[in-house]
Amino acid sequence: MIGDLLYLIFAMIFGLLLLGIHRKVIARIQRRPGPPVWQEILHALKFSFKSTWIPQTASDTLFVSVVLIAIGIWTAAFFVVLAGGNLLIIFGIYMLHKIVEHGFGLSSGSPYGKFGGVRSVISAASEIPLFVSVAAVVIFTGSLEIGDIVAWQEQAGPLILAVFPAALAMYVVILSKFPFSPFSIVESKEIVSGYKTEHFGVWRAGLEACNGLKTYVLLLTFIAVFFGPLPFLLILLAMILITVSISFICAFSPMLSPFDSVTIQTLFTGLMLIYVVYLGVYG
Amino acid sequence: MKKKTAGRIAGIAAVAGTGATLLSELGTVPPWLGIAVVVVTFPLFLLFLGLWWMARETDADIPFLGY
Repeated sequence: MIGDLLYLIFAMIFGLLLLGIHRKVIARIQRRPGPPVWQEILHALKFSFKSTWIPQTASDTLFVSVVLIAIGIWTAAFFVVLAGGNLLIIFGIYMLHKIVEHGFGLSSGSPYGKFGGVRSVISAASEIPLFVSVAAVVIFTGSLEIGDIVAWQEQAGPLILAVFPAALAMYVVILSKFPFSPFSIVESKEIVSGYKTEHFGVWRAGLEACNGLKTYVLLLTFIAVFFGPLPFLLILLAMILITVSISFICAFSPMLSPFDSVTIQTLFTGLMLIYVVYLGVYG
Repeated sequence: MKKKTAGRIAGIAAVAGTGATLLSELGTVPPWLGIAVVVVTFPLFLLFLGLWWMARETDADIPFLGY
């Protein structure tokens, strides 16, 4: 268990490193030098040294508690994945994160934050239905427990080969949560930093730590569900490769307008529904 | 928030989280309880550690008000 605590801290730092690699790859594709790969770790440290207060327009309790809740829910998600728990809990936490983002935006009283908060609800409406892809996983493995799904793959090989469209849908969910992604409407530049605009200093450092942990947990879930049991170093390598592939998409595609983002994600969900129904009837 | 208060909260959170983890490892408390305590104390520890190390120990400078 003490090992799990150390692993939790490692996950947070490695998640931040992945976000740094993401920024670096985007920059190099766009022929910019870009920040060093550990920039996001420095970013979190830098924010924790900045002077911190609560804006006058903010709701004090909500403004502070959303940061605690954000870190708390992803800590819980980390332990659920580690214990091989239920996939639905991870999706529930993902949904909670959307509500927390909404809370971030509304708590500050800033119009930019509010726009970001509202957009997080809009994007939740199109991202969360993408989880219909788990139905395909259940059809094959007969379980929603991550432990069972990993055990099934030990016998039958990686699930990604059997249900590639479902893996693609989950990939779109992860892509949506990466910064600078075409679906990253909650923090696009026309609303400054979106829901996190007014959270600065230690509050932002906490949010950065949460982002690192969230990135690690989402990638770990994706690898466990679609690639099965891998040695630890191979998991880290797979995480880096998935991050680099996402960076390529982010570097080559513009950020979509909220309407286009929701439309494309809904289109994906529609295709996934057809695929799951097909699997259910003919699979 | 005073530096001492932030430090105390961070310390209590760290001790509670590590203590609960150790107790669940020894089998004194069920594993889910150990994890639940960590889920609550880890965010508190992180945030208050930040508040502790950025807090001023002395009063802020008096802003220049003009001659």
